[in-house]
Amino acid sequence: MQFARYLLRRTLWLLVTFVAAMVLVFLLIRLVPGNPVDAIVAQMTRGGGGSGEQVRAIYDNYMREFGLDLPLWQQFLVFCQNVLQGDFGTSFAQYPAPVTAMIGQALPWSIAIQLPAIVVGWLVGNVVGAVAAFRGGWFDKGAFLTSIFATSVPYYCLAIILLFVVAVRMQILPAGGGYSFGLSPELTLTFFGDAITYFWLPFWSLVIVFIGGQAVGMRSMAIYELGSDYVNYARGLGIGDNRITRYIFRNAMLPQLSGLALSIGGMIGGALITELVFNYPGLGTLLFTAISSNDYPVIQAIVLLITIAVLLANFLVDVVNGLIDPRIRAAETGDR
Amino acid sequence: MTRLLDARNLRAAYRTQDGRLVRAVDDVSVHVDEGEVLGVAGESGCGKSTLGAILSLNVRSPLQVESGTLDIEGKRQDFGASAKIPRTWRGSVVSLLPQGAMNSISPTMRVRDLCFDVVRAHDRRARRSDALDRVRDRIADLGLPPRVLDAYPHQLSGGMKQRVVTVISTLLNPRLLIADEPTSALDVSSQRALIEMLKEMLEQKIMAGVIFVTHDLPVLRTVSDRIAVMYAGKIVEVADAGDLVDRPRHPYSAALLSSVLVPEPRYRTMRVKGIPGAPPNLLDPPPGCRFHPRCGLAMPQCHTDEPPTDGTELRYSACHWSAQHPGESVPVEAATRDELDGGEPLDRAGEPVALAGDGTGVGR
Amino acid sequence: MRGANLSPRFWVASTMILLLVLAAVFGPMVVATDPNQVIGGLYDRPSGERLALYLGTDNEGQSVLANLVHGLRTSLLVGLLAGAIATLIGLVLGLVAGFQGGWVDDVISAITNIALSIPTIVVIILLGVALGSRSSVALAVIIGVTAWPWLARAVRAQASSIRVREHIEVARLSGARWVSILGWDVLPYLLSYVVMAFVLQCSGAILAEATLSLLGLGPSGSTSIGTMLYWAQVWGSVRVGALWAFLPPTIVLTLISFSLLLLNSAGDELFNPRLRKGRRRGRGTAGAARGRRAPTPTPVAPETPTPGLAASTAVDLPVSPKGASR
Repeated sequence: MQFARYLLRRTLWLLVTFVAAMVLVFLLIRLVPGNPVDAIVAQMTRGGGGSGEQVRAIYDNYMREFGLDLPLWQQFLVFCQNVLQGDFGTSFAQYPAPVTAMIGQALPWSIAIQLPAIVVGWLVGNVVGAVAAFRGGWFDKGAFLTSIFATSVPYYCLAIILLFVVAVRMQILPAGGGYSFGLSPELTLTFFGDAITYFWLPFWSLVIVFIGGQAVGMRSMAIYELGSDYVNYARGLGIGDNRITRYIFRNAMLPQLSGLALSIGGMIGGALITELVFNYPGLGTLLFTAISSNDYPVIQAIVLLITIAVLLANFLVDVVNGLIDPRIRAAETGDR
Repeated sequence: MTRLLDARNLRAAYRTQDGRLVRAVDDVSVHVDEGEVLGVAGESGCGKSTLGAILSLNVRSPLQVESGTLDIEGKRQDFGASAKIPRTWRGSVVSLLPQGAMNSISPTMRVRDLCFDVVRAHDRRARRSDALDRVRDRIADLGLPPRVLDAYPHQLSGGMKQRVVTVISTLLNPRLLIADEPTSALDVSSQRALIEMLKEMLEQKIMAGVIFVTHDLPVLRTVSDRIAVMYAGKIVEVADAGDLVDRPRHPYSAALLSSVLVPEPRYRTMRVKGIPGAPPNLLDPPPGCRFHPRCGLAMPQCHTDEPPTDGTELRYSACHWSAQHPGESVPVEAATRDELDGGEPLDRAGEPVALAGDGTGVGR
Repeated sequence: MRGANLSPRFWVASTMILLLVLAAVFGPMVVATDPNQVIGGLYDRPSGERLALYLGTDNEGQSVLANLVHGLRTSLLVGLLAGAIATLIGLVLGLVAGFQGGWVDDVISAITNIALSIPTIVVIILLGVALGSRSSVALAVIIGVTAWPWLARAVRAQASSIRVREHIEVARLSGARWVSILGWDVLPYLLSYVVMAFVLQCSGAILAEATLSLLGLGPSGSTSIGTMLYWAQVWGSVRVGALWAFLPPTIVLTLISFSLLLLNSAGDELFNPRLRKGRRRGRGTAGAARGRRAPTPTPVAPETPTPGLAASTAVDLPVSPKGASR
């Protein structure tokens, strides 16, 4: 009962934030000076391509798609409807490619480097942080400083340096792209074996930074828990260290697990630049191209995708936390 | 009467970050008889909680016990660098009832899980259902609602939480319970309920003795049989509870009494006074009697000589004045003074005048 | 007393920051070369000929060193300005919400939570795209107005816990206006926290600027560390091995980020002594750790007010943004 109420509140909250995000994206895209369609059509015809007839057709298509002839609130409804149907419109720069298809091509690449990096980094980072907190002494000192450094290195700086050292100087791994020229993405061993060589560098550049961040977080969390009253009391009752470590772990893990889920939710927007550095065919590269060619539908779609993923992750984390942690449920619904 | 606990010559110190030692307990001996409640009183930083930690075998870095012996019902334990005390003594021989029970149970854990863990820590083969049955009986005996077992700590009120923790601390019928400021965070009616419960448990012989550590003299007066007053790491006076409150023989005890409202007729007419100044820094305690800088009865030898112990094991005072005035109690008004030697106001370095102990946890 | 307690970490961090600031302030005068002036060919190697060539030239034949010191200046300015804006907004909103309570709190908290759940990078990118041409100041403003939510939330939690303390009650009863109570009785308790948060905000802003620049949304018409990286990246300096073109901005950015984070962690440790030694000496002396409730370092835990914090440890939360904006 209590949980049902909690779930309802979180769902309402998800809807509110979703609408807020939609409004924000909608308005900001329309902040672009002038009528975006005029700008785009002008840009497309500048190259000299296309007859008057074609331009007319393109123009009409965009007017319809944006609903620019409608009042603003109707435009917003059209926009919402399209998004909910997964229809992000047509690319300006690669007319008439549907944005959804372009994103569908890029997204797997982004997930392929991000997801493993996040999971591995999270696991290793938490172990390092916990061990540092429990062992203390020189290990703690060393691990903490290293972690602080690792997490403070901007991830793209590490990417640049790795690229230079490993790919350019030592020439151990390929310097960029997602797979070798001449191959095409398919589910075969050949392709996989080839793509994995392109995978390592972006992967490592992300993992190292992520380990650092997780370790720092886990360490301070565990230290807080170690000094808490319940640890003292459990010791005073003769409960063994292993058991107490479990208590600590459970309490320290809760926020860390949420952190993992949030990172996964944020992964799409989390490492855009890494892909740029390695010329990796994911969303980051797509976004970069879109920005440089003023391809607003693509920008808008990527931005929305990032937002939706984050909102959903937040939602799931809240729900799961409410399931696991009785305090949160109680605090939220005001029950004792 | 049988001796339950006999602790002799305990010395313990905290190691500071720069490696110096703060001796928080300095040559302290206490004993508790079967069925007895010993109260330990003093301002904050006097070492009473440290003493509680030692007696409940909860010594952890940076605190270290340098020397001393502990006799619990004939089982003898030497403290010292190489002392190894069996883990299972904690909780079954001596047990700790902590200060601030608010956070004493892991927030993501139900009360029953902690109960079972306590039982299993001392008996590997304990079965969950048996253990919980025992706990349930105990809880019913003491008049707590059975639902507390299934509760998470945040679902219990402060007073209830403290009582639940008391039950957990005594689950294994420890011989001695060390209660460290258990009432400080509670309102008056919860304090009362807790004290009633402790008395009930003593009567039921759940534990054989209690050491009750607090700065709250009125509470001590009601719960304890004897009171030991600590100052700056030493016990300065020991007496029967009524005797100590009525006829303190050490100026510090008198000062402590004058700084609280004691519901006794003879104190009714008195103004509540604080104890000017603050307890000494234990990194560098004053020579002679440690209370002499704040004492209204200080004599020349107090500045240089360790005070003699005057009286018997059951009723003594470590003070030059009381050695010279056997059998007399300290005139309460004279116990403190308002100036240091040389007229420097006592309230130095912006330190607040200490009122009635420390208020550790009061009104938290 | 605290002054004597500063860790070596603090000094290392401060020294690094001081050196960076000195380079940004005096560097351009010392190098005395216009960063936009073409003084050589494409990726000339570093040479000792003249100061401006110590780090060679970039893809347009401009002095890397001149660009570096000017870029550092821009980046630090953007960081300071954006950090100040974000800290100010977060502080004011958090204080007002936490201290006023009631419907004001409800409204501000709702806005804060919505802003928190929408990824910062999204808003920055959209604003960057919407503003066709961007000065570095405009960029700083964009970054500043998007970075405040986590701070507002943290300040709110603390302000509302301070609100119930006795001395605030006294001030209120004595008829002080709430603005003056906020300024004189509440703010001082939050100061150490706010300073540390400001440090983080600056570092976050500098990194955000670099991210934007790398995406092609950097300041138009001026050099920053981010734009240097952008050009190095777009012109493939890494691939051709012109390390003098991409290494200096990479290293400088890392140094900025590392030193600010180090400073923050040193400050955290200072105001939060428990973090200092891990297990070995975690509890301090007899009374130090007692009577203080364990702060909840987690942003997902319910924000229960902590009325019993000893006055000197008012601010116990570790400074950490929920989702760092990078």
